[in-house]
Formats: sequence, structure tokens, C-alpha cells
Amino acid sequence: MSEITRDQLMAYADGQLPEPERAAMEAFLAANPDAAADVALLQRQSDAIRTLFGPVGAETVPARLKPRRLAAEMARRRSRNWGWAAAAIVLVGLGLGAGWFARPLFDAQPISATLIADAIHAHAVYVAENRHAVEVGADDSEHLSTWLSNRLDTTLGMPDLGTEGFTLVGGRLLPGTEYAGGRAAQLMYENTIKQRITIYVTSALADGAPAYQFASYEGAEAFYWANARITCTVVGTLPEEQMRAVAGSVYRQLTEGDFGAGRPYRG
Amino acid sequence: MNDFLDQLETCVPALRRYARALTRNADLADDLVQDCLERAISRRGLFRPTGPVRAWLFTILLNLHRNALRASHRRGETVDIDMVPELSTPAAQPGHIALAEMARAIDTLPLEQKEALLLVALEGLAYKEAADILDIPLGTLMSRLGRARTALRALTGAPAEPHLRTVK
Repeated sequence: MSEITRDQLMAYADGQLPEPERAAMEAFLAANPDAAADVALLQRQSDAIRTLFGPVGAETVPARLKPRRLAAEMARRRSRNWGWAAAAIVLVGLGLGAGWFARPLFDAQPISATLIADAIHAHAVYVAENRHAVEVGADDSEHLSTWLSNRLDTTLGMPDLGTEGFTLVGGRLLPGTEYAGGRAAQLMYENTIKQRITIYVTSALADGAPAYQFASYEGAEAFYWANARITCTVVGTLPEEQMRAVAGSVYRQLTEGDFGAGRPYRG
Repeated sequence: MNDFLDQLETCVPALRRYARALTRNADLADDLVQDCLERAISRRGLFRPTGPVRAWLFTILLNLHRNALRASHRRGETVDIDMVPELSTPAAQPGHIALAEMARAIDTLPLEQKEALLLVALEGLAYKEAADILDIPLGTLMSRLGRARTALRALTGAPAEPHLRTVK
């Protein structure tokens, strides 16, 4: 035991030195206060690390991390895949058709036209769905908000449209135009007579310039605006006045704080 | 199958703890654990190696974390404000290392050192198991641990402080 290596000191501090060497180490440390201080420091480092992060292991595990629930969800998703294949074919058809009829929207139009068209297509496709209208339901709205915020790289709260008589159904992530981050979030709301409106949000366009636009297409009204943080399109088939009230409320809630001191609004 | 899910479940608290320490962001950490569990569930039949489930899960988690880091490299990191340790931690008392200082020091470690250090110091894994999870030889693990601890020691200002030389 004349040669004590750094690794042996560390192994001792970690409680991983095998028995025969441990006894010799203890004798060595008793005679070498400097080495003993080193070992004590290593142990304090480990203590500090465990104090910092250990408590996480004792927290209640969120429901979404329960393996049984995950396995059940995955099985459900698999069985749904055939449905999705069929839906994809319909989507392509819709896209082709809508794209053809939406040509006027695209002719030498700014990117906002693409966003509005995407929002209207997404609206048309998903409001017709019943069981699969949304990917994450409103009962999990906190997760929905965190998830979509992460995916869009911005803070996205769920606007409260209770005053307008609408409650959140849920939301989903959609592919979007590459000019606005390549992803879009769709939030769906419903009133008591099953009328639905959707909110289509992407991260900001490259120029981040404020813009406002209103479009009406095939019976659907779309209110679009963009700022330095997001673009947002509210789509619905309600009477125009009611649409304006809803869109106004969404606008106020989603832009509040954007011009302030950077404090995120509360959705 | 249900046995397998039970085994996964017992590992979840440790995976969350490890992921939180790696990412320092509660939401990111839980997303990482969820991805890890989903991958484990979908691969359980064909790809699951023989051996302890725990080690396999840590390997999956580490791979996902590295991929995510690579993908988000340009976006900069987000640190959940709740996870920033109390900035008002009182000055270190003799024999103690300030926790906030330690958290910041760990953040500055190169990823490979941080991964190794947290497996051993936080999760209490045996050197051999940690080396297997990281798929590196034992000697490499020891040298990463040694470098990590030397760096922490320098960053937490320990060597110059005489009171830190007292032995508990």
C-alpha cells in the first residue's frame, strides 16, 4: 500500500473500493491528513449533488410518465394508423382541391396568404372530426401548453374564450410552412351548440413585422395577424360580428405582454 | 409484458432525477423521460438487450439527450426558473459547498464528464455499470470522473479555502 492513486481515493470516497484495499486505505488516511481532506471534499461534492437533485426522485411521478398508460396509448395509436392512412388520402385530395381553388390567394401574395390558407385547410379537416378532433385534450391543457410552446419555440398559452361562450377542446401539432418554423399549433374551441373555431399559431416570420389581414373563403372567415413573436390565424364559420368578437379576444390574450418588459402573458 | 412495465415504473423516479440534473429544466426532463419510456416499450421485444432494464433505460435516455442537444444547439438552452437553485443561498459555511455554486459548476462541465459524474455521484451506480451504460472502458470512466471532480473543485473555489480542509 505504498502507492495510493487518485482513482483509489475517489473509489474510497464513492464507497466503491473493494474490502481488502479499504482497510489499507483507512490506515493510510489516518496517517495522511491531506489525503483525508481530499476524500472529504470528494464526498462533500457528492453530497451537494445529491442535495441538489435527489429530491426530484421523491416527487410524485406525473401521469404521463406511467409506463402502463404509455403502453396503452401506444397500442391505441397503432390501431389508429389505418385510419390515418385513409385520412391521409382524403387530406391529399382536399389539399389538391383546395390548393386549386385557393390559387387566387397565392398569386404573388405574401407569406401571410399561405398561412391563412393553411389555417383554413386545417380548420376544414379537423372541425369535421369527432373523436380525433384534437391530439391532446383540454383536460391536459397544461401539458398541451408546454408541449406546443416547446415545439414552436415560443410561449403559447391557451386563450380563455369563456366570455364568448367557447371552451377549449384541445390542440394538435401540424406541419407548417418553412417560413414560420415549419410547425404550427392548432387549438380548437367549441360552444354549447357544437360550433367550432380554430386558432392556428406558428412562430414568427423572419421579418417579425406586425401585420393584420382578414380573409373570407368558402364560407370560412379568417383573421390573421403577425408580430415579432408569433403569427396567428383565427378561423371559423360564425357570423362575422361574432367572429370579430372571438378574434379580438384571442388577439388581446395572445399579444398581451408582447410589448411589455418581456413578461410572458398568462393564457 | 406487465412485468416489464412494472420494471420500467420502478426506474422512472431515477430517470426523472437524472434527466433533471442533466437538463436543469423540469419540462424538458420529463419529455426526455417520456420519449425514453416510449422507445423502451416499443423496442422491448426485439431490441432489448439481456441484462438489467435500468442500465438499458439510462443508455436510451442518454442517447436521446445527446440527439436533442445536437438538434437544439443553435437555439440556446432554456433553464426553468424553478430549477435555478436559490440564488440567495447563504455564504458557504465551513465544510459546506454552496449549492448554487455547485449547480453552476456542474453546468459548465463537458457533457461526457457530466453524464459520468451524475451516474456515479447522483445515481450511485457502480463504476462498472456506469461504464457499461456509457459504453466506455472502465479506465475512461475513471478519468472522466477525475477530471469532472477536479473541475468542480476549482469552480467551487474549494482548494484555497482553509475551512474546507477540515475532515468531518
